[in-house]
Amino acid sequence: MIKSLFKIAWRNLIKRKVFSSISILGLAIGFGSAILIYLFLSYHLSFDDFHPNQDRIYRMATEEHMDDINYSASVPPAFAKVFREDYAYAEKVAKIVDREGLVLDVEQNGGINKYSKNIMFAEEDFFKIFNFPLKNGGNAVSLSAPNTAVITESEALEMYGTTDVVGKTFVLENDATIEITGVLKDIPNTSFLNHEIFISFENLEKYSEFAHGENWGGITTNLQCYALLKPNQDIATIENALLELPKQHRPNSKNTHIYKLQPLSDIHLNLEYGGLNPVFLVVFGIIGLFLIAIACINFVNISTAQAFYRSKEIGIRKVLGSFKRQLFWQFLSETFLISLFAMILGIVLAILFLPAFNALFEIQLTMESLVSVQFFGFLLALLLLVSILSGSYPGILLSRIVPILALKGKLNHNDTGGATTRKVLVVTQFVISISLIVATLVISRQIEYATQTDLGFDKESIVMLQVPETMDSAKFYDLKERLKQVVGVQQVSGCLTSPGAGDTFWDTTVKYNNRPEREDFSISVKVGDEDYLNTFSIPLVAGRNFFKNDSITELLVNEKFAEKLGISSSEELLGKTLAVNGDRVEATIVGVVRNFHDSSFTDEIKPVFIAPTVRWYNELGIKINHLNTKSTLEQLKKEWSQTFSNHIFDYRFLDERVAEQYETEQRYLSLSKVFSGLAIFIGCMGLYGLILFFVGQRKKEVGIRKVLGSNITGILTLFSIDFLKLVLIAGAIAVPFAWYFMDVWLQGYTYRTQIHWWYFAISIVAVLVLTLLTISYQTIRVAIKNPVNSLRTE
Amino acid sequence: MLLQLKNIFKWVNSGGQRIFLLKDINLTVEEGEFISVMGPSGSGKSTLLNVIGMLDNFDEGEYHFLDESVHTLKEKHRANLYKEYIGFVFQSYHLLDDLTVYENLEMPLLYKKYRSSERKAMVADMLDRFNMVGKKDLFPAQLSGGQQQLVGVARALIAGPKLILADEPTGNLNSQQSEEIMQLFKTLNQEDGVTIIQVTHSEMNAAYGSRIINLLDGRKIGD
Ligand SMILES: Nc1ncnc2c1ncn2[C@@H]1O[C@H](COP(=O)(O)OP(=O)(O)OP(=O)(O)O)[C@@H](O)[C@H]1O
Ligand SMILES: [Mg+2]
Repeated sequence: MIKSLFKIAWRNLIKRKVFSSISILGLAIGFGSAILIYLFLSYHLSFDDFHPNQDRIYRMATEEHMDDINYSASVPPAFAKVFREDYAYAEKVAKIVDREGLVLDVEQNGGINKYSKNIMFAEEDFFKIFNFPLKNGGNAVSLSAPNTAVITESEALEMYGTTDVVGKTFVLENDATIEITGVLKDIPNTSFLNHEIFISFENLEKYSEFAHGENWGGITTNLQCYALLKPNQDIATIENALLELPKQHRPNSKNTHIYKLQPLSDIHLNLEYGGLNPVFLVVFGIIGLFLIAIACINFVNISTAQAFYRSKEIGIRKVLGSFKRQLFWQFLSETFLISLFAMILGIVLAILFLPAFNALFEIQLTMESLVSVQFFGFLLALLLLVSILSGSYPGILLSRIVPILALKGKLNHNDTGGATTRKVLVVTQFVISISLIVATLVISRQIEYATQTDLGFDKESIVMLQVPETMDSAKFYDLKERLKQVVGVQQVSGCLTSPGAGDTFWDTTVKYNNRPEREDFSISVKVGDEDYLNTFSIPLVAGRNFFKNDSITELLVNEKFAEKLGISSSEELLGKTLAVNGDRVEATIVGVVRNFHDSSFTDEIKPVFIAPTVRWYNELGIKINHLNTKSTLEQLKKEWSQTFSNHIFDYRFLDERVAEQYETEQRYLSLSKVFSGLAIFIGCMGLYGLILFFVGQRKKEVGIRKVLGSNITGILTLFSIDFLKLVLIAGAIAVPFAWYFMDVWLQGYTYRTQIHWWYFAISIVAVLVLTLLTISYQTIRVAIKNPVNSLRTE
Repeated sequence: MLLQLKNIFKWVNSGGQRIFLLKDINLTVEEGEFISVMGPSGSGKSTLLNVIGMLDNFDEGEYHFLDESVHTLKEKHRANLYKEYIGFVFQSYHLLDDLTVYENLEMPLLYKKYRSSERKAMVADMLDRFNMVGKKDLFPAQLSGGQQQLVGVARALIAGPKLILADEPTGNLNSQQSEEIMQLFKTLNQEDGVTIIQVTHSEMNAAYGSRIINLLDGRKIGD
């Protein structure tokens, strides 16, 4: 029986090649996309699921309550020790601090290789909390002594050309000689941890006194603190107990800390604490479902349209003894067979496009992730789901056919049914396509808006150089002068960070003028020299720039600061004093600058002050004319290396750094481009099949109309009008639908573009044109044929 | 007695009017009869045959088939009944174009509970009996009309029905092919004892039967 069913199914496939290819190809694209999306989702959902005690591992985090709430995935440096020694909740507590771009000297073959590496300074217990085993499988990592390190196997290969490196040494920042005490297995891609080199926490002091010390004064996001709790702890109880810590250690702070325990499983997908936006995954999932839905719709449309052709077969089978149920299963098994082909093709497509997909979303999915029980379970579930979704409705229609009518050939299309359903389904496809086009337009418009709107500062032709070690004034001004002499350089400024640096910021509370209390908001510190405004073209709205100085006596604020203070005139701020950095520094406000966007458009502009302090300069901003960038850069390197002879020259362009803030949005955009393209493609294929069918069915009518004098345009209009109506109905549904969702999306941005009516117009017209093209191709083919032929065949 | 129709009426309502397709039909068929139904086009011959074959309903009257009262049976029961006892032969053969001769013959068996080896034997038997062994792998389109109808008859017979209903089985055939089919019917009727009811327009074909029923406007005339 089964064999016979598959035989028939196979012959049906062969016989209706075009329709079969459309169904199979559409489903295959749907399956391929679903597979990639599944891999993507399971990749993101599998983060750090390989630690034996994972449900007892927590990251310590802080809610900072000021005039608004800030979420920080870190705690003050002193927290770890107190939590370990004064409380009994945890088995192990460990902190880690990361530093970027430190210089490592590695001796190899008699020479010295220099590397610029990101380093994690870690307490030994870190490796007892987590499952990051050594090469030999154990976790006996030894990092408690100063000047010790462990590195991963691939790092060892890169630096030493072998993994057998225990006992070997490297020099850190031209200073300490560090000995490698262990080699770790490579850290899985699906971990919050993406460092390769771990150095004893004891060595941190030189590179961050603040993070290394037992400080309660603030938070650096470079530090993370993890705890392995004892079994069966109640998190709320612990968090409650921790409420007393700020009272004890930060009694006078306006910035109220509330310490939180963030579960390990929450780290990767908690937006507030710096994780990936889970909405991103949901959107991904929905798009996957859309694609599968569109492909199923194609299938249902084409097969119900064909039900008419098959009605005779069904009639005969019924008369010869088949039950409804058997016919239903027959049809379902045909669908299953088609889906199976499509799935095999889909897997091939997924494998082919995996590298491109990885590149697009900057992830590392591998073929190995394809071979797992879950994945096969997913494939099977998907296959059954699609077979049932797209097979059952046509199956029901077919099995309902009344045999004597079918045998008499008296069935028409309304009897085989599904005409209304088909219309509804086609409209659904159009709605999805139109909505996806609208989404693509809105997202790209928002990115354009964010990257092309005046940010309040100049980001073009500005090169950012690192300052790898703290400088004194003499060294700094000497370097700055030499850089200024380079041909093509217009301005040079030393600073902590450039404007628009995104999440690298330093906030502090301030006391204004002779107000008794500190303000209840924090202010962003932009440390920079007297050329900061010139280099980044930030205009003054009142007062003057500060004079050249090594430390803070005069400072600038932005308009937002005045607004936050409730002062309407910028002039009024001039000459007032501002106590900053825990009142350690008092300076006079000499000027007010226009607001500029320091972080992404999702965030509101913050109050800012700008003031000079040479030893805090981390970067050099250099405005160049872009005529001879290459030779200018070479000259810059030469001058820079003269000052920092033991460091590796690296540079970034400011506009690239600013664009990086929109990485997520860029991914949304690629996502919606790729998948709306696919959705439209599958939809058009289905439409093509449907039209092929209708035109084929109405060949005779076309013949008669032509004989009676109709021309091709007339016939085209006749066929198009129905489908065009469907597009318009779909448009009417898609407009409010897409409008609502894109509006919600845009609400996430404090500074955002508008949704214009013409986004919808463009989308609908685009779909109309594609539909028309699809219809015209088929119709014209039939219409230009000699009518006599089609009439004679009857 | 194989079947009995008592006062069968069938009608359709059209524009508030009741149009009778069958009017007061009374008919008793004994096992082993060979009946020809005749009458002008539109007189209700096919309708009557479909009612007897339980493919179509009627609106009034009683229908007994063997020991069952068809008019009281549920749709599903009725389907079981005709599947077991009745074979159909159609004017336009109604073979499945996608199946070979062999597969067409095998198909009714697939819907009944035969084992694969039994099916093979039965199909082989039929092919042999109809001299079609050499054509078993051909598709219907590769056969002449007469050969196709032979397959149609073989398919109707394969599951061993008591009754064969044939609606103008020779309507699409030339006279030589016609005669061949009629001869076959006669043999089946006389040697295998299969009851046959056929609709025909031809006096010559009707003569093969043992009894003729004349219809006019849905009513039985004469006998
Ligand atoms: N479902 C129906 N609705 C309305 N009229 C019907 C229906 N089915 C059959 N008829 C009518 O009933 C009459 C009898 O039809 P039937 O097919 O039984 O005739 P017939 O004797 O087999 O004719 P022919 O020799 O042409 O095959 C015809 O007039 C036909 O139009
Ligand atoms: Mg008839």
